[in-house]
Amino acid sequence: MRTAVDLKRFVREATALLARERELAAFEVYCSTSEHRVARLNYTSDIPSRGVEEFKSLNADGFALRLVMRRDPHETGSASEAGDLSLEAVRAAIGRARATTVIDPHFPGLPVEPRKLPPSTERAPASDLMRAKDGPVAAAAWAMIGGAISAFESGAPLKLSHPGLVIGGDLSLIRDRIAIASSAFADIRSDESAHFVSSVTALVESLDAKGTATATGASLAEMSRAGARLGRDAVTRALKLRHGERPPAGRYRIVLGPQPVAEIINYMVLGSLTTGAFYSATSAYHGRFGAPVIDVRLSLTDDPLAHRGPVRRRVTCEGLPAGRTVMIRDGRLVGLLSNFYDSHRLLADEHRAEKMGPDASAAPTFPVRSGYRLGESAARRYDAHPGSTGTNVIMRTRGGVGERELIEAVGDGIYIGRIWYTYPINGQRAGDFTCTVSGDSYVIRNGKIAAPLAPNCFRVNATIEQVFAKPLAVGKRSETAVVWGAPEAYFVPALALEGIELAQVGAADSD
Amino acid sequence: MASSDIFGAVEFLKREGETALRRFARAHRGTAYADMRFEAMFHRSASANDGDQRDSTETEAAAFGVSVHYEDRGGAIGHGQTGAEIGRLALNRTRLIAALNSALAEAYERARFSAREKVAMLKRHGAAAKSLTRAGAITPSTARDEVAATFRRDPCTLDPDELKRLCRDASASIAGLGTDIAFNAVAALSELRHELFINTAGALISQACSFSQGDCYVVAQTADGHQESYDTIGQQRGFECLAEGWRDELMPNPDLPTFAIELGRETRELAAAPALKPPAGEVVVVTNPHFNALVAHEIIGHPCEADRALKMEAAYAGRSWFLPSLEHNEIGRPVGSPLLWACSDPTLSGYGHYRYDHEGTAGRRVTHIEGGVFRGFLNSRATAAALGVEPNGSARASEAWHVPLIRMSNTFFMPGQSDPAQIIAEVDRGYYVCGHLIPSIAESRENFRISARRVYEIEHGRLGRLYRAGSVIADSKSFFSQIDAVGNDLRMVAIPNCGKGQPMQVKRMSNGGPTLRSRARMGGG
Repeated sequence: MRTAVDLKRFVREATALLARERELAAFEVYCSTSEHRVARLNYTSDIPSRGVEEFKSLNADGFALRLVMRRDPHETGSASEAGDLSLEAVRAAIGRARATTVIDPHFPGLPVEPRKLPPSTERAPASDLMRAKDGPVAAAAWAMIGGAISAFESGAPLKLSHPGLVIGGDLSLIRDRIAIASSAFADIRSDESAHFVSSVTALVESLDAKGTATATGASLAEMSRAGARLGRDAVTRALKLRHGERPPAGRYRIVLGPQPVAEIINYMVLGSLTTGAFYSATSAYHGRFGAPVIDVRLSLTDDPLAHRGPVRRRVTCEGLPAGRTVMIRDGRLVGLLSNFYDSHRLLADEHRAEKMGPDASAAPTFPVRSGYRLGESAARRYDAHPGSTGTNVIMRTRGGVGERELIEAVGDGIYIGRIWYTYPINGQRAGDFTCTVSGDSYVIRNGKIAAPLAPNCFRVNATIEQVFAKPLAVGKRSETAVVWGAPEAYFVPALALEGIELAQVGAADSD
Repeated sequence: MASSDIFGAVEFLKREGETALRRFARAHRGTAYADMRFEAMFHRSASANDGDQRDSTETEAAAFGVSVHYEDRGGAIGHGQTGAEIGRLALNRTRLIAALNSALAEAYERARFSAREKVAMLKRHGAAAKSLTRAGAITPSTARDEVAATFRRDPCTLDPDELKRLCRDASASIAGLGTDIAFNAVAALSELRHELFINTAGALISQACSFSQGDCYVVAQTADGHQESYDTIGQQRGFECLAEGWRDELMPNPDLPTFAIELGRETRELAAAPALKPPAGEVVVVTNPHFNALVAHEIIGHPCEADRALKMEAAYAGRSWFLPSLEHNEIGRPVGSPLLWACSDPTLSGYGHYRYDHEGTAGRRVTHIEGGVFRGFLNSRATAAALGVEPNGSARASEAWHVPLIRMSNTFFMPGQSDPAQIIAEVDRGYYVCGHLIPSIAESRENFRISARRVYEIEHGRLGRLYRAGSVIADSKSFFSQIDAVGNDLRMVAIPNCGKGQPMQVKRMSNGGPTLRSRARMGGG
């Protein structure tokens, strides 16, 4: 990765060059360096396997320019360049940006305030993950494999010649560093972040068992601890879940554990809580800004500075201070994630009143705190456009209860610990979703966990209203949950619900 | 300012890459195998929202990925990979070779560490870790070939204003349909890619390809309802396929403006249509080629990926209902009606076309289902060895800096003999399901729910009322086993965004099929 000094020096030199371009009314230079190191796990007891299937890294450095032409304030061009942080590359990018300008009537210009960042925005001490080399990542990954094999050797009920033990997952270390300057800013803004995410799944196919363990964090010590326990925990969990029951289809009372709640928020809710979604009339909460949208006991916040959040952002990819956004407070929709462009576009929208709804203020504001340029690996990318993305997404509760009380509230039903392939089956605005119950789940009888549930035996067909509008009970703790492929980290409670339709997945075809 | 300079880096590596790789292998003891994949790309794109220009870009990019297999004295093998985006630095030959060498060295150290850890794991766990011992021998490619791109209008010399105008005009035409169009977005791209594969076994394969793609997203709302629809057209051709349309028996497309306005009109019609309230229980469903493209993708293609079948994707994208285990699986067994045939074929012209995969293996047709009987998987060299079969050239990376995974190419249900109109006419009561939207599938793909754009009632062989928010729900084997009619109207569609892997690789391919008739449950809205 490039150093912060290198990035700032490049940005300084690039802005000096751009300042001499007379036909430009404004300009912005964004520079990023990012690295994603992944140790991917694959151990199968009955099929030749590598253990650590891949140990790889993906490195991406580059810069992006945005230009605003003097002849028309809505005429803007952009260009990006990989690898080459030289003035020659900047000149080439200027040429390309000029050749591809568009006249966008919604373009509000580039951010101008604050001209200088307050001292409180200064970088926090860097995570020691920024300096980590391959060794700790590889060691932690192999420790997961070793821990899983040990746990299986000691915990498996029978010594089978073909037990069908499968250990999969990965340990990912994601780190990035940016520098950004513009014609409006009096300073060069920079930021850096490093965190790890790991998910380990254990299957014991001979026992029809599946268990998962996940971890995320921002320090080497946390990553090392994850290495020591995730493989072991996934196998231990799987062994406890062996030979699960396959109840019939029907409407059930359920407890949704933290992972399912996080997955539903990620795929079904978060995308609706952006200014872009309201502008395009695709928010599931269309016409309900300012109104109650979920249970009064629930609040939803995005916080890039959360103390326990592994995703740390102090400056957005638009050069603005990152900050906390309360999206839902005590059940009422009060805030949206937004980037600079979408914020202004919605504010200027002649149909805004209809899209926001009667409970929205006549003069709403959409603070611009969430404009991040992210790639597929959730690290910052020089060639991505600023979207509206969460960081550490936290659902807090009032009047929450412990897990025992949640299960008691259900009485007879299902504890769903993990869901899979959750999508808005009829489009985001409709709020309908479907998914399958893929593992880590139990049958509840008489208010107690009674038996494991066979993995992959149920399909859930429900709506976000059924999940969040009136839960039977809400958990009191916001627990860490990892959603595969999501750039956000989640901290969410479990919820007890009623009337959820569970359809059976063919017993003869399921593993 | 268009430039073809970036492709000069490919020509340089064709001359010097083998030497660099051989030199690396000689200098690093224990290197059993190494390869490099390099890719240069010129990309042009534009987009518009609601009839206004939104964005326009022109990019030159270059990237590479390297892989090293290390074998220690005891025979333990470790693997390491490194990928990087290098951009214009690829034009500086000294820096390019230095970057490649640095990446190879990094991959080598990772492979060495892996081999050491494997030995330690075997010492610690003995027979419990026996599957970590050496798999079947993997023979690397030695192929040498050159494949040129096919296009009439070169993406590199395209006038950016033409692309911008096309998008803006298409978007404006959708917006002009009326106030019930709440939002629309139209985007187009045209790019030229040149890939190079070199390995220490003597393979050197250069493949160039052109991609042009148009995407359209429409949101319509009426007093009665709301509809979001999207679709894509794409070919491995130049801009001509978007500007003029593309005539092809298997995968035709209209020009972008026509495609956009047709989607706009359909979305308006659907927003005014009622949401489906389906009956309980199974019904007769006739599914059209566009809908079946997603069925082929999710329920044939993905579970036919050998890495998935061999449990390597268990933590992410699941397993395969075709192979619960090496001992108990569906190979050679019926998985559907005798009318059901399905295959993958990269040799066909389509969005998933290629000649060689990213291990240097020639791609070929792979029959997955033959007369209802399951026959085989898409594989890589390593998974082919694990399954005891020949490699069939299906290991591909979305970009050079990623590690190749097993991916679909052109994967489709094969056509039958029946006239699609007759297939519908024979139905007393049922549903005609057209156009795919969103899938949700069970972990081994043994069950699915896929939503459709348009659902029509069929009564006494005639199409009746139109509904939105309908979906087909079924257990996969049951759906396939109940197929009792297969049309003669094979069509494929471009799928631009198949995601797989960690980190995610988003790959382009084609999927499709003819009209099918089977039984399933319906989901509603």
